[in-house]
Amino acid sequence: MNRNFALWEYLFIQYLKRDWKKIVFWIVGLGLFCGGFIPFFEEIAKGDGLLGMYETMQNPAMISIVGPTPIRDPQAYTIGAMYSNEMLLFCGLFAFIISVMHVVGHTRREEDLGLQELIRSFRVGREANALAVMVETVLINLVLALFVCGLMVSFNLTGIDGTGSLLFGLSIAMLGIVGAVVGLLMAQIMSTSAGAIGGSIALLIVLYIVRATTDISNVSLSMMNPLGWGYLTYPFVENNWLPIVYALLFTIVGIFVAFVLESKRDMQDGYIPQFEGNAHASKRMLSVPGMFWRITRGTNIAWLVGFVVMGAAYGSVYADMQAFLNSNELMQQMFTVQGISIEVSFTATIMFVVQGLAIILPIVVINKLYHEERRGHLSQIFSTKVSRYQLYWSVIGLAIVLSFVANVAGSLGLGGTALASMSHTTMTLQDFLGAGLNYFTIFLFFIGLGGLCIGFAPRLGKLLYLYLGYSFMVSYFLNLLNLPEWVNNTSALNWVSRVPMEAFDISSFMIVGVIGLTMMLIGAFAYRKRDLHEGV
Amino acid sequence: MDTVIKIDKLQKKFGKFEALKDVSFEVKKGEVVGFIGPNGAGKSTTIRVLLGILKRSGGSVEVFGKDAWDDEIEIHKRLSYVPGDVALWGNMTGGEIIDLFIKLHGGAKRNKRDELIKKFELDPKKKAKNYSKGNRQKVGLIAALSVDSDLYILDEPTSGLDPLMEAVFQEEIEQLKNEGKSILLSSHILSEVERLADRVVIIREGVVVEQGTLDEMRHLTRSNVILQTTGDLSVFKNMTGVYDLQQKGKELSFSIDHEHINDLLKVAATMPMDKFEMVPPTLEALFITHYENDEA
Repeated sequence: MNRNFALWEYLFIQYLKRDWKKIVFWIVGLGLFCGGFIPFFEEIAKGDGLLGMYETMQNPAMISIVGPTPIRDPQAYTIGAMYSNEMLLFCGLFAFIISVMHVVGHTRREEDLGLQELIRSFRVGREANALAVMVETVLINLVLALFVCGLMVSFNLTGIDGTGSLLFGLSIAMLGIVGAVVGLLMAQIMSTSAGAIGGSIALLIVLYIVRATTDISNVSLSMMNPLGWGYLTYPFVENNWLPIVYALLFTIVGIFVAFVLESKRDMQDGYIPQFEGNAHASKRMLSVPGMFWRITRGTNIAWLVGFVVMGAAYGSVYADMQAFLNSNELMQQMFTVQGISIEVSFTATIMFVVQGLAIILPIVVINKLYHEERRGHLSQIFSTKVSRYQLYWSVIGLAIVLSFVANVAGSLGLGGTALASMSHTTMTLQDFLGAGLNYFTIFLFFIGLGGLCIGFAPRLGKLLYLYLGYSFMVSYFLNLLNLPEWVNNTSALNWVSRVPMEAFDISSFMIVGVIGLTMMLIGAFAYRKRDLHEGV
Repeated sequence: MDTVIKIDKLQKKFGKFEALKDVSFEVKKGEVVGFIGPNGAGKSTTIRVLLGILKRSGGSVEVFGKDAWDDEIEIHKRLSYVPGDVALWGNMTGGEIIDLFIKLHGGAKRNKRDELIKKFELDPKKKAKNYSKGNRQKVGLIAALSVDSDLYILDEPTSGLDPLMEAVFQEEIEQLKNEGKSILLSSHILSEVERLADRVVIIREGVVVEQGTLDEMRHLTRSNVILQTTGDLSVFKNMTGVYDLQQKGKELSFSIDHEHINDLLKVAATMPMDKFEMVPPTLEALFITHYENDEA
């Protein structure tokens, strides 16, 4: 067995040296995000803030997004309880995703590139690289836990004690480690690094949504969910260490299974069979838009199916929610204010999650143009009569069409399931579709931003994800923190009204859309004029 | 002579696809073996099985008398490998990567690294992502040649190198040959193989179809002859073993089987010759005739 790991320790040291900048950025960046919001929460907690927030967090819509709190007595809701209730799951998701990227990036991706072939030609064991990367990732996550713990304790607040802070940090770290294990497993099963990352993220989304329903219907079921091993530790409240033990067991078993899978497969091979393709191009792909559709087809279909499933999963929460409210008269009064039913306000809240995620698809498509340019895949096309405008507008057009389909797919999944699961409601499918299409103008805005990037600074295209993530978070915290108005306005997702709770605001819809289209036009002219970046 | 590589009836399947059907050959100590074949014939697959990166489906593969899969670590201590497309970590410099590879191998030769960096004119301080194809290849070559190995497996090692650098490479290989090292050289640059290899193994569609020294192989094919004479040309036209005969005025060109060369020389000696050229087939010609014959 030891032979399989030969020289792993040397690779491990090398990887620390190679990655140290990234590691520092990772620990400090994520650490500050996880532990640094305490002053904000201190502000909210003033006066009756904690009580108000406790009530807000009892709303099933909020539970489905951030998870539950075990506290039944509002008076016991301390600032620590609030912080872990609202922040822990979200921070864990980040830790999970970053770990997936890191592990897949240094295992499967290096295999795809041919780097691992070279490494393996030395006296290095078969699993040495995987072990080195896993030890590195586990270590990073543990240091992250200590950093978060130290940061939180340093605020020196009552209600934020050392034990709770340590558990808070460790819970995040464990989700990071679980992410690393999932990434390593996917790296064995899938035959490309893109497939491994896609598979891991898809699994994460499914787990997140499943826990949304189980959190509302039966929290004990969430304990079987790997995500539950993070946020169900309830730091500062119950300080439950058991989930950490589950996560550890999963990690050990998972790594073992991954090693077995890796030793039983050929390098650069996976466990998903590959099928033979066609010898000839179908007529549909013999055009510029057709070509872009063909090269993004797999991703597009996967995302679209994902959006329907995600919508459907949230839709299934509606029934639980009604049951939950019917069981408690006080709650019923609290959440059905001003004649707006709970399902209407829930739709308004959840729609930004569904549509915010759906915006990822057009961003993926737009970034593809530059990706292909850099890889030199378009060199032979640039040298034909196909103009740059044709390339640009084909991609933009594809992004717009896919935006529309993704938008409707999410709303249909949500609305269809919600209406089917609720016993009585005044809402119709049109309400859901309308609430979704309300966001369509923001899709156009993001496509416009993408167009500007392609034209002026294509390297920045990846920042669109960052801005989307930022917008997502601001909109998310809008419900939790009393952020100043100008901060709320920096999130594009806040630029439309919250239909169906609020009335449709045609003027803001039009303005955002026109800005989006204008940016697309400017981007086209810039793209026409700039140097191409090939093979850089 | 010791056998360094011994491959016997090797098979490798990827699902239903049989990449290697029947591969058998040996590399002896101190021998340079050229490994050639068209694209997709199974050269790289064979090499990956040799390296213990792919697990064979059948047959046996031994390096230094040890099993290529089970004892890979022992084998790798005495082996250097250069792939046809050297992939590198973009954010490390060429110098750092060479050092890492040397350390991973474990058998550094004193001063060899710096000497090679100078010879190959590599800038070791550049980040790998800024290297061209040829420069990435140099990193792989320098790392492989800076260590002390008994076996060198080179899979199209000079792809992307300029002719000057290729000459440097050939020099280094000749030196290794003189030191008694064994080399398996897979290449499409047949002149390179011709110059360096003692023996050639030709693989096609997963089967080794021919192997032997170049001389042996040349005997299997024909040499090209061009002659000019004032004598009677029709004598040559009726000779057995003569093919592809073409006449241009008094000049005659044709190819001839090796077993009939003696007859040709006897006849030619009786005539007044203005010109007589005989060219043995190049490896390229061998390669091409071989496949054309097989396909026919």
